[in-house]
Amino acid sequence: MTDKLGWIDRRRLLQLLGAGGGAIAAGLPSRVFAQARKNTLVLGIDISDTITLDPARLAQYTSPMTVSAAYDSLVTMKPGEYIKLAPSLATKWERTPDGKGWRFTLRDGVKFSTGNVMTAEDVKWSFDRVINLGDQPSQYIAHVDRVEIVDKSTIDIILKQPTEPLLTIIAAPEFVVLERKVAEANGASAAKDAKTADKAAQWINSNSCGTGAYRITAWERNQQIQLARNDHYWGGKPPYERIVIRHISDGAAQLLAVRRGDIDAAFNLIPEQIAALKSEPTVRLAPLASLDFVYMALTQEPEFNKALAVKEARQAIGYAIDYDGIVKSMLGGAALRPAHFLPIGVSGSTEEIARQIGFKQDLAKAKELLAKAGLKDGFEFEIAYGNAAVQGVTYQDLGLKIQSDVARVGIKVNLRPVDQVNLRTEYTTGKSRGGVLTFWNPPAVENQLWAAAVVQRVAKRVHWTPPDDIVKLVSQAATEPDPKKQADLWVEWQKKVVDQANHFILFQPVYQIAVRNAVKEFPLTAAGWMLDLHGVTPAG
Amino acid sequence: MSRYILSRLVLAVVMALLATLVIFLLANTVPGDPVLAQLGDLAASNKEFVAEWRAKWGLDLPLWQRYVIFLQQLFHGDLGISISSQRPVLQDIRDFAPATLELASIAFVLSLVVGIPLGIMAAVRRDSWIDHLARLISLIGVSSPTFWLAFIMLALFYGGLQIAPGPGRIDAIALPPTSVTGLYLIDSALAGDWDTFRDAAAHLVLPSIVLAAATLGLITRTTRASMLESMQQDYVRVARAKGIRERRIVIGHILPNALIPVVTLGGLAYANLLTGAVLTETIFSWPGLGRYTFRSAVTLDFPAIMGITLIVAVVYLVINLLIDISYALLDPRVVR
Repeated sequence: MTDKLGWIDRRRLLQLLGAGGGAIAAGLPSRVFAQARKNTLVLGIDISDTITLDPARLAQYTSPMTVSAAYDSLVTMKPGEYIKLAPSLATKWERTPDGKGWRFTLRDGVKFSTGNVMTAEDVKWSFDRVINLGDQPSQYIAHVDRVEIVDKSTIDIILKQPTEPLLTIIAAPEFVVLERKVAEANGASAAKDAKTADKAAQWINSNSCGTGAYRITAWERNQQIQLARNDHYWGGKPPYERIVIRHISDGAAQLLAVRRGDIDAAFNLIPEQIAALKSEPTVRLAPLASLDFVYMALTQEPEFNKALAVKEARQAIGYAIDYDGIVKSMLGGAALRPAHFLPIGVSGSTEEIARQIGFKQDLAKAKELLAKAGLKDGFEFEIAYGNAAVQGVTYQDLGLKIQSDVARVGIKVNLRPVDQVNLRTEYTTGKSRGGVLTFWNPPAVENQLWAAAVVQRVAKRVHWTPPDDIVKLVSQAATEPDPKKQADLWVEWQKKVVDQANHFILFQPVYQIAVRNAVKEFPLTAAGWMLDLHGVTPAG
Repeated sequence: MSRYILSRLVLAVVMALLATLVIFLLANTVPGDPVLAQLGDLAASNKEFVAEWRAKWGLDLPLWQRYVIFLQQLFHGDLGISISSQRPVLQDIRDFAPATLELASIAFVLSLVVGIPLGIMAAVRRDSWIDHLARLISLIGVSSPTFWLAFIMLALFYGGLQIAPGPGRIDAIALPPTSVTGLYLIDSALAGDWDTFRDAAAHLVLPSIVLAAATLGLITRTTRASMLESMQQDYVRVARAKGIRERRIVIGHILPNALIPVVTLGGLAYANLLTGAVLTETIFSWPGLGRYTFRSAVTLDFPAIMGITLIVAVVYLVINLLIDISYALLDPRVVR
């Protein structure tokens, strides 16, 4: 039968199959962009969580980087320095004469990207908008009573509780200055009814009206954010004409792209991918010491687990976990470990302090504590975790590691994988029946935000009612004016919460960002916006 | 014929609404709380804030009332506001659908253009090297996991050989063409911007091959089997006995009869490509509906989930309708 079908010959077949091959040939990368690439910085990062670029509505992880490039706050934090503040739009700050707030002297001659001069009016309006919009950022400054204009270059921020911390919080990109005229022309409102009156969301998501080094020109969702140089920037001429924050969700694809030079930096690489870059001459690795926590929370509700209700039993778990093993072998050393919810680098938290007062593996001590708790033969508890990974280490792997560690002192762990949203629902409503492996990324660099949360909402989730002295210690430490005394108070607070053994910090990630050598300065920061985009410079 | 189409259309509308009801009920049985999927830690622990937030999104209403509201909005052509993107669902879908449509269509055409001829040749030259090759191609296509194939293609042609562009719809520093249809190929052609056209076309090559792979395998196999079956029919024997040229027998007699199952499969495969490209879209950072659907599902974004369900249901129903109509055209016996 085949003989009769001479009309399909080999040549024709190859032509047909060649349709696919021809398409690849058309896929040769176009060279037309080579010139533009020199003046453009391209970052490869998973920005699928970015849902708004409105400073007053920020709540996500990656969006602050973009916002901090387009807008400035009154004060800021230099990379690596999270205790002392640095000037930005304000050059000087001090307590108001009556001690009820803070007084800021505004920098002279700061211009918005439109070329108009920034005024005290713009500053007040911007704060009013955050407060009146009532979105998440308003909660961080819930203790702000009002903002007052003193004269054309001085403003006061008056507090309801004058001792509560303010400066560290308003350094975050949620509290930046917008050009009132432009924002209002595009629907923004700072009035009391801003919640319903503000219609700027659409405009502000693909434009900006700030004083930052770059201005936002476009945002194509799940694709890229485009920024262009602000020629009126008060800090000198920004080195790049354009910045593209390119959404690349997959780490392996980021690796290929940074190798090829299609992107200048890759943000979401896992340890194996980072190892693959070690021999790459054109790419270097820059560490980003975050202020995030990966931790295990343990309930102490006796109805859920009788053994976990006993403090010594929980402490035994704390002494059985091999923290060094987690940091060294699972994360290749790319992590720190604080004693409790005060990340290494803030007041009262250094690596040395953490070593002295935090849990460390000590199996003899763990067994001793079990005996003391009347649980010589061990006990059982469950660990729930979501389907996610931090720095390429999945919660599942962490769970397995802890399971095998505590087994050495006779404690049995049942692992329970749960969908991420359900896990959070269970955990935050206090329904977790054992341990929970999870993550915490704080909104602003302020000890009080962490510590107050630990004794309030985080304590509730594990059914712990903190004694008054621990609660008091938080406000005492937060309002202590002397830095040295303050650090000591924070150490004391950590000792108490470590002893309570409801939360075990497993590690504080140090992310590895791959940066091409075509980029010279690349100031990564743990302060919440990841990268000081205005400080990024090209090499040569 | 027109009456047939009309009755099918009415049925389609009813089916689409039923689909939304089922999804609505299913989505609400999930124990997770959308508040916790959407809000930050501090906000989620503030009772007032949460209550206000629930009221804003209508999450405090009884289930039936929420569904009635959804239906009411629907009759006004409104799919509601997505909780996580805080934009109208319709606008989200309008933004993300073109990327998927462009990719899925190219992939579909690719799998037809390669799959059908390959299947035909495999059948007419049964057990020859072409048949073996076709079998190999469809085996690889059907059995290789999408994410694996996607990554291998990317590593080989982008990372290794460097002849294909990387992830995304266009070059990292290129600006997308002015949006008319949202389809980059058409938009750039309309603007006469051939650099962007080339760039967009090049970016389509790898993901569309990956996406086409599984469909291509199915279409090849089905075409082959169906062709073989038709070849055994009496009318083929008669035609051959009459001395008609073999080429005419294949194209004029066997093919039309063999194509009916291929049309069914092809239609469903296209619907599948349009809605099931999550993995390909993830690895190629393709800003399409697949990614949007996935994110909406994991964040319990009810309005978005409902909107997508409706769209997907409509796509399936329309394609099914087209399949049925094409049956009628291919084989008049279907409509009696």
